[in-house]
Amino acid sequence: MSASFSDQLVAVLPRLRRFARGLTGSAVDADDLVQAACERALARAHQFEAGTRFDSWMFRIVQTVWIDQLRARETRRTESEDEALNAGTDEPVRRVEARLALREVQAAIGALPAEQRLALLLVTVEGLSYKEAAEVAEVPVGTIMSRLARARMALLAKLSGDALRGSTEDATAE
Amino acid sequence: MQQPSDEVLIAYLDGELGERETAEVMQALVRDERLHAYTQRLNASARLIRAAYDDVLREAVPDRLIAAARGERGLTALRRGLARLARWRAVLGERPWWIGVPVAASLLGLIVGGGVGYFAGTERSASLTAQQDLVTASTSANWLDSVAGYHKLLIKAGSNDRALMDVAADANGGAVPKAGQLPPDLRLPNLKPWSLQFQGARFLVVNGQPATQLFYTTDNKSLGPLTFVEAVSTKPDLAPTFDRRDDLNILYWRHHGHAYALVGTADIGYLWNIYNDIAWQLDAI
Repeated sequence: MSASFSDQLVAVLPRLRRFARGLTGSAVDADDLVQAACERALARAHQFEAGTRFDSWMFRIVQTVWIDQLRARETRRTESEDEALNAGTDEPVRRVEARLALREVQAAIGALPAEQRLALLLVTVEGLSYKEAAEVAEVPVGTIMSRLARARMALLAKLSGDALRGSTEDATAE
Repeated sequence: MQQPSDEVLIAYLDGELGERETAEVMQALVRDERLHAYTQRLNASARLIRAAYDDVLREAVPDRLIAAARGERGLTALRRGLARLARWRAVLGERPWWIGVPVAASLLGLIVGGGVGYFAGTERSASLTAQQDLVTASTSANWLDSVAGYHKLLIKAGSNDRALMDVAADANGGAVPKAGQLPPDLRLPNLKPWSLQFQGARFLVVNGQPATQLFYTTDNKSLGPLTFVEAVSTKPDLAPTFDRRDDLNILYWRHHGHAYALVGTADIGYLWNIYNDIAWQLDAI
C-alpha cells in the first residue's frame, strides 16, 4: 500500500463518516461501516484507477459494504429512535431550536427508503453529479434522477413546517 | 413549455440541465410566481439537508478509523504482533497468577471502578489524583469502546467476510496464516468445551497499540459469538473488571504491560468461567 493511497484515505475520512452517518442514522454504526470500508479499500487498492475520483470510489465501497450489512442482518430500529423520530414531527416547540430542526431533517432522511437515501446523500450532501452518483450506486442516471426527486419531494412534505419556513425566508432574503 | 416536472426542477437546481432546458425552466419561473416560490422551498430544503450532517465534518476522527485507513491492521501491526507474541510467554511468567483472582478482582473492580484506585496514593494531592482518575477512566473508556467496536465489526461482517481475518481457522480449530507464516508463539485458547469454535484472528491497533483479536462462534446463542482481545498496554496492572457497551458484556484486565478483554453478549457468569479457563490454558501452554 502506498503512502499516498492511505493519505488520500485519511483525508476523505470525515466525508466518509458523514456519508455513513446519513446511511446508517447512527454514529456508532457509521464508524463501524467506515472502518469496514477502509479495510476493504486497502485490500482492493490495486483496483483503484489513477486519475479517477478517489472519493467516489470510496463512496461506492461504503455503500457496497452497507448493502452487504443490510442483507446480512435485518436492520433494527430501536424504540427510542422511533420515539425520537415521532416526537420530532409532533412537537412544534422543538422546532424553535435549530439543532433540533436539523435532527428532524436527519430523522426524515433516515425514514426514506434506502435507495432514495443513497441518491440524496450522494448528490445533495456530497455534491456528486448525477453521473457520478449513478456510477457509485451502479444504476442508470435516470434512476438516480427519479430516486432523488422522490426523496426531495418526500422531505419537502415532511419539512414543510417551521424549520423549512425559516430557511425559505433566508433564501428569499438572499 | 409545459410546467416543468419535479425531476426537471430539481435537476435545474442541481445544475444538471443543458442550456436549452435551463432557459426553459427559467422562463417558466418568471411566468409563474407559485412555481418560483415552490422552487425556493425546494432550494431551502436542500440547504437544510446539507446542514443536517455538517457537524460530522467537525468531529474528531476516531483513532481506530485513522489506523484502519493507514493499514496498521496489516503488515505494520503484524510485525508488531510477531514481536509481541514472542514475548507473550515471558510476560505471562511461570506463576498461575490468574487463579483465584476473579472474586477479589470483582470486588476491587467494584470499589475502584475502572482502575481508578491505582492513582489513589496517599502521597498525591487530591487534585492531582482527581485529574489522573479522569484521564485513566477516559482512556479505559476509549479502549473499551474500541474493543467493543471491533467486536461489533466482526459480528456485522458475519460468516461471509473472512477477508477481515489475518489468521484463519482449520477444520480442527487450529490457526492457518492467510499470508506468510503463522507467528511462532501464537497460542490459541481451546474453548471447545464451551462449544466455542475458533474462527480466526485479526491483528489490530487499539488506541495506538498493537492487539490481537481471537474470534469464536457457537450455536449456543446465550454464549456466543465471543472475541478475546490481547493488546500491548503501558498502563498499570488492573484486576479483572466488568463493563458494558450497549448489549455487550466486557470482562477486561491488565497484567505486566498487556491488556486483555473478553467481549460478547454472554452472561457475566459465563465470562468469568471462560476467563478462568483461558488463564489456565495460557499458563499451561
